[in-house]
Amino acid sequence: MSEIILGIESTAHTAGVGIITSEGKILSNQRSVYIPDKGEGIHPREAANHHSEKFPILFKSALEEANLSPKDITLVSYARGPGLGPCLRTGATAARAFAYAHNIPFLGVNHCVAHLEIGLLEGATDPVLLYLSGANTQVIAYADGRYRVFGETIDIGIGNGLDKFAREAGMGFPGGPKLEKIAEGDELIDLPYSVKGMDLAFSGLMTAAKQKVDSGYSLPSVAYSVQETAFAMSCEVSERALAHTGKTELVLGGGVACNSRLREMAMTMAEERGVKCFVPERALCVDNGVMIGWLGYQMMAANYEIKDEDNMVNQKYRTDMVEVTWR
Amino acid sequence: MKFRGAEAIVETIEWNGQTVISKMRNKRGYRHPALEKRLVVERLRSESRIMERLISQGVPVPAIFSVNTSDNSIFMEFIEGQTLERALRGKDFKKHLIQTAHLLSRIHSLNVVHGDPTTSNFLVNDKIYAIDFGLSSISDDDEDRASDLRVFLESLDSHHSEINGRNIFLEAYSTGASKSVLEALKVLELRGRYNLMRG
Repeated sequence: MSEIILGIESTAHTAGVGIITSEGKILSNQRSVYIPDKGEGIHPREAANHHSEKFPILFKSALEEANLSPKDITLVSYARGPGLGPCLRTGATAARAFAYAHNIPFLGVNHCVAHLEIGLLEGATDPVLLYLSGANTQVIAYADGRYRVFGETIDIGIGNGLDKFAREAGMGFPGGPKLEKIAEGDELIDLPYSVKGMDLAFSGLMTAAKQKVDSGYSLPSVAYSVQETAFAMSCEVSERALAHTGKTELVLGGGVACNSRLREMAMTMAEERGVKCFVPERALCVDNGVMIGWLGYQMMAANYEIKDEDNMVNQKYRTDMVEVTWR
Repeated sequence: MKFRGAEAIVETIEWNGQTVISKMRNKRGYRHPALEKRLVVERLRSESRIMERLISQGVPVPAIFSVNTSDNSIFMEFIEGQTLERALRGKDFKKHLIQTAHLLSRIHSLNVVHGDPTTSNFLVNDKIYAIDFGLSSISDDDEDRASDLRVFLESLDSHHSEINGRNIFLEAYSTGASKSVLEALKVLELRGRYNLMRG
């Protein structure tokens, strides 16, 4: 019998409720994004307030879109981390309330792993995931029962870096997409290119970019150069991970993976290397409830036994802490 | 032998009547041409200079025969042997770990950091050779050295979690090097992103 899973996402600025079947058919993907005031970053408490306001509406519209009633749902899955504490607790509370009210089993899952698993829905079987979002910048692949982090940022997440640069240059949140829109040029301004093995660093790059703007370079040309540099670094480390692990598939995930230039570069890299590149549609790259539901289903389908700790949020729930029992 | 690495094609070729390794940095289509040029020249130059420095001090690394800026290739000595990654699966893993630690400590003492000292970048035959200095740099900074240690320990962790080599390696490393590198490693690993990474 087909199962119907409801997934709840609330690790950072996005409140999301998604509904997906055990066959991988997406019935609804409702999202609402908290936008901080201009010139400010995410305020965790404000974001959580936003989520608690929006969740009832999101649940309702998701069920309506899927043309279902709560009793049709067979599993509730929510992101228990990593993320901002107040936001995580809001999602967990929403999950518990819905699950208890309708007597449905529920479990908490890892947000980063969900980004990877949703890529498998695109047809990948054993990929390297280049996961680029606001807070997370990791190159992940499966080895010995866990998703291992082969490379990651050693300072800030790529998205946070882009947002911060954009904010300092007077643009609103989220800065990444705004930079993409204004980025223009073909001359490259020299910026720090920081790759250490399979790890990356972005803070120096963003500071240097700010200095270039201050010293008179046009914002579009600096935005262009920042993208070229930061994305080339990201592609290089994923190529290193592909070479190191010998894997032949690349999956993109995370909000920054919506960027067209990044997608283009990743696809060029994959083609030159002779590996397959899977790029989920944008609505599945950004934070969303569908991927959370899908991962919850994968785990339960492999007879995962829910432990008490699975239903506690964990702000520092790292990718490699998850024992992968469903592969 | 032909191997497509992360940034170069490495293959054995016949050159002046002997078998040598050719490492050619081929073009990356995804990178901006100006960035590509800058990186390739920087890395080719630094790699050959650093290897020369180590060779002149008698550190076991492949000898360099020729550096060709026209096609961004280096011809170097072909060293027979298996990678440390493979060798660590055998019974002599302890000995190999200790020798590798001494080698890395020696490289650091000459103010060189390797940049990517994973277990695939050491070759084992009569002694242990360090290879692939593509990401190496000149530095006497303890944090850079600690960063090398972390790359090595991480590759131990992800490929050889069964042998628990961390302590053996660090102990052997610290007999040659100053304790301050281990302190820097502690600081590095305490930074948020690493403190939950073990296991």
